[in-house]
Amino acid sequence: MATFEVERQILPILGSPNQGARFYNPELPSSEPFVPGHRTCAGCGPSIQYRMTSKAAGDNTILIGPTGCMYVANSSYLCTPYNVPWAHTQIGSAGSFTAGVAAAYEAMIRKGKWKGPFPNIICEAGDGSASDIGLASISGALYRNHDCLIICYDNEQYANTGIQASSRTPYGGMTTFSPPGPEVPEGKKLFPKDLARMMAAGHPHCYVATASVGYPIDLMNKVRKGLNHRGAAYLMIYTPCQKGFVYETPRSIDLGRMVVECGLYPIWEWNPERRVYDYSFRPQNMRPVSEYLKLQGRFGHLHAEHIATLQQFANDQWKMMGVELPDALIWAADPQNQMHMAAAAEAEEVADTI
Amino acid sequence: MSTKGTRIPDWLKVPFAGITPGPSQDKGQNLFPTGNWRSIRPVYRDKLPPCNNACGTNEKIQGYLDLVKRGKYLDAYALIKEDMPFPSVTGRVCYHPCEQACNRGKYDEAISIRAVERFLGDLGQSLKHDVVEAGPSNGKKVAVVGSGPAGHSAAYQLARIGYKVTILEKSSKAGGLNRGGIPDWVLPQHILDREIERLIELGIAIKTNCEVGKDVSWDDLKRDYDACVLAIGLTEPNGVRAEGEDKEGVLYGLPFLRDIGMGTSKVKLGPRVAVIGGGNTAIDCAREALRQGAIEVTMITVEANTDEMPCSPEDLHDMLEEGVDLWHGRALTAVLGAGKVETLQLHPARFSGAINASPITINRNVPAERFAVDNVIIAVGQRASIDWLPQEFKNERGTIKIDRFGRLGDTNFFAAGDIAQFGSGQPLMVVNAVGDGKRVAFNLDKALRGEPLQPRTVAVDVIMDLNRMNMTYFPHFPRAHQSMLSPVTRRKTQVEVIQGFSEKQASEEAGRCFSCGTCNACDNCYLVCPEPCIARPERSNGLYKILVDYCKGCRVCIEECPTGCLEGVPELDFDTGVVRMDTAFAISPGLHGRQAEELLNLASRPAKDI
Ligand SMILES: Cc1cc2nc3c(=O)[nH]c(=O)nc-3n(C[C@H](O)[C@H](O)[C@H](O)COP(=O)(O)OP(=O)(O)OC[C@H]3O[C@@H](n4cnc5c(N)ncnc54)[C@H](O)[C@@H]3O)c2cc1C
Ligand SMILES: Cc1ncc(C[n+]2csc(CCOP(=O)(O)OP(=O)(O)O)c2C)c(N)n1
Ligand code: SF4
Ligand code: SF4
Ligand code: SF4
Ligand code: SF4
Ligand SMILES: [Mg+2]
Repeated sequence: MATFEVERQILPILGSPNQGARFYNPELPSSEPFVPGHRTCAGCGPSIQYRMTSKAAGDNTILIGPTGCMYVANSSYLCTPYNVPWAHTQIGSAGSFTAGVAAAYEAMIRKGKWKGPFPNIICEAGDGSASDIGLASISGALYRNHDCLIICYDNEQYANTGIQASSRTPYGGMTTFSPPGPEVPEGKKLFPKDLARMMAAGHPHCYVATASVGYPIDLMNKVRKGLNHRGAAYLMIYTPCQKGFVYETPRSIDLGRMVVECGLYPIWEWNPERRVYDYSFRPQNMRPVSEYLKLQGRFGHLHAEHIATLQQFANDQWKMMGVELPDALIWAADPQNQMHMAAAAEAEEVADTI
Repeated sequence: MSTKGTRIPDWLKVPFAGITPGPSQDKGQNLFPTGNWRSIRPVYRDKLPPCNNACGTNEKIQGYLDLVKRGKYLDAYALIKEDMPFPSVTGRVCYHPCEQACNRGKYDEAISIRAVERFLGDLGQSLKHDVVEAGPSNGKKVAVVGSGPAGHSAAYQLARIGYKVTILEKSSKAGGLNRGGIPDWVLPQHILDREIERLIELGIAIKTNCEVGKDVSWDDLKRDYDACVLAIGLTEPNGVRAEGEDKEGVLYGLPFLRDIGMGTSKVKLGPRVAVIGGGNTAIDCAREALRQGAIEVTMITVEANTDEMPCSPEDLHDMLEEGVDLWHGRALTAVLGAGKVETLQLHPARFSGAINASPITINRNVPAERFAVDNVIIAVGQRASIDWLPQEFKNERGTIKIDRFGRLGDTNFFAAGDIAQFGSGQPLMVVNAVGDGKRVAFNLDKALRGEPLQPRTVAVDVIMDLNRMNMTYFPHFPRAHQSMLSPVTRRKTQVEVIQGFSEKQASEEAGRCFSCGTCNACDNCYLVCPEPCIARPERSNGLYKILVDYCKGCRVCIEECPTGCLEGVPELDFDTGVVRMDTAFAISPGLHGRQAEELLNLASRPAKDI
């Protein structure tokens, strides 16, 4: 086969926003591939993610949107907020469509029909698409190592159809498909699918990472690393949905931090060259899961034992990350102690109002 | 080649593409002005940082710290000079009310503002030409009586406006208490000399050995000048009304320090010295006594403990480190000795009221204590010397009677500094005198131009509260510390006790500043908006803009602004007469109307056109 040259875009990594004691974001790219005027809910986490991702990717980008909020709410009336080429695809075909776009550009370059750098090809699949309906097609695209970035924007449910449970919905999360009641007081009984790890384990030649809107620069850098990586890359990004999580809209970014700080959403990277996980990311604080749960209506029905179960889950995640657990968190994994904590919090609140 | 602007085949363009406008970077997807969803609108409003508010002359502290963070030292120096003529001085002597008020103090440790100020002041001292200039002359002449901080500041500001200023000073050297009060080991004289040179460079004439009331009269002032600022301070020491206070060996704090500062001191202290008083002057006297050769220095206060002492806790700490003994709850009731002080007689005492200006209750029913000393220095406050002032301008506190603008009746005379602030509840300190001098200078200018005056105490708008800022963005970070001479070395020399910051320390310390209530262009709001509908032509405070056509009012930006300068305003409260539903589709007028019209017309258009 004749050799041909592929010009590639190499996106520089952004510096940390913390310069010594000072908080100051690094110089951000100026392009805006994602513009306002879309119909997502106020404070929508996936939109925040979309904004950051597309800003990190830049103008020479092609976006692919399988069915989900980021398609439906964004692109009705043949009018989209995407300032770069964008295409919808069926919810199950996220991976195959994306693979097709990448293969098409490879072919066009091979045949000399596309002059210029290989575009950034990004698929923005919801968790319903990425963890359930489109899982097979995404796995295929990753396995065949097409040069693309597949993002699962993880709002932990099927949001667009009115909040149904997906395999990413956390234990205890209330959705219309996992309503709590006398029989099943916790709502959802199963723990979420360990999706990103599945992708890393199953496609070890791919760059795989998790991120959260609570850490924008980390998120944008992971997008850039994924795009710079030759071959397929996969990102799973925590994106709160105020409709399904039931919280006050201003807390979107805050939840993105809290979920990491309480250990329910470990942030890591899979290094495809060395074939190892990098668990070095550390949030500024560690806190009990209850602080995260109490901000959201979808967990409002949980009993002490369920919160303790979630705390145990978080503790296991910390251990997996190699973090030594403070006693307070071990203590909080006991349902009895959860009762004490709730009582203490209540007492504090009462004291505040007096 | 960019993938932008992919060509849409003609047949795909109809019917919608011709009607629905495509998105663009500057206009967004303007078919949908989602701003009509909003009930609360984010607005940028810079609020006053507590440090700026607490500073006696309202230095723009947050502003210059921000410039120092970015390495723009000269700009920072220029900014400080707007309100403060001598940052090199206050950077050393100020009791830093700003640091007490600093929000960071409630989080970990306050910003070391004074040390950064000193860093900038020293930078200014090293400049060949200062950054400020005299204003274009307006042909008017002003006399400033007194060359202390208040007079210095008033003269400086007036010269900057364009007045021809003459300072009249009764001492042989200019500087007021900065020279004849605050010791050399706190403020080296060459620093002050340089700042006084700067005044002369501004065209200000300084007449020393020129006392108003003796060399110049009230009427001379009235006749020779268009206006006058009296910044005469409190020059006379108070006594304690103890028996035998007139004996040899009894000294008063203010003249003791003044003579040393002016280089005219003839005092020789014995080995055992007592200092009477619990304020800053007493502390300076005690520490100076060590440097003047005393071996044992004891401070005697009426206050029952250190917390009650009206002094700077840091200075007290440094004094104790130098080995001064501290006695509480006693009053000096008699000075005993044959002609010369030999023993002090002390009785238990306390203040009868809550504040230490209240009368002292002395318990004479218990036997007196005797304390053998060679000298005693009495440092219990100062009063004014205003015999020469027309009676109508004197008040019951023994100072000058002024209105709330600092003016004497309807004359063109103004008063500023200690003489105006004594007994007003304002602590007497250099920075308050500087601020007073500045405000009075501006009022003098207004009076001569016939404009309404501004009260000396300025009403503040909103002071930024720590609780309204987002602390998650600020990791805990320890305060940078200034190095100091060790207590054993410093207690015998006039060498400056506290050392300045290095450049690295200054910028690191400035980096700790939260920038309370004032946007510092961190770009966070810009980055986190889900729409995104925050635009900025350039990354700088004041240039961030909410595109209200689109903002849905989620308030993520407000929540995530570290500095708290974004706030939510209920949209219905707008006083512009805008009614919410009126704006709903009218924000980008015509778009929906045009679309509807075109859709209606579709049927009447020939099929091949569609
Ligand atoms: C010992 C001591 C230490 C202090 N240390 C500090 C400190 O570390 N930090 C701090 O912030 N504050 C300190 N203060 C307080 C501070 O010095 C004063 O608040 C400040 O100097 C007041 O400034 P002023 O200009 O009003 O008065 P002054 O500094 O007293 O200046 C008044 C000037 O007017 C002159 N004058 C008076 N009458 C006449 C006249 N009739 N004709 C001509 N000239 C006249 C005087 O000679 C003097 O030079 C200290 C005070 C003392 C006494
Ligand atoms: C094969 C198929 N099944 C079901 C649907 C209906 N559907 C449309 S959007 C959606 C939710 C998708 O959820 P997710 O991928 O998590 O995206 P989100 O809406 O949460 O952003 C579903 C189930 C569909 N479009 N296609
Ligand atoms: S339902 Fe959730 S994911 Fe969908 S637009 Fe609203 S906030 Fe975003
Ligand atoms: S943190 Fe900075 S802006 Fe805030 S009070 Fe302290 S010095 Fe002033
Ligand atoms: S984040 Fe954006 S949409 Fe939300 S309130 Fe702020 S400007 Fe409006
Ligand atoms: S988030 Fe940063 S850039 Fe935005 S208003 Fe606040 S300080 Fe300014
Ligand atoms: Mg989803």
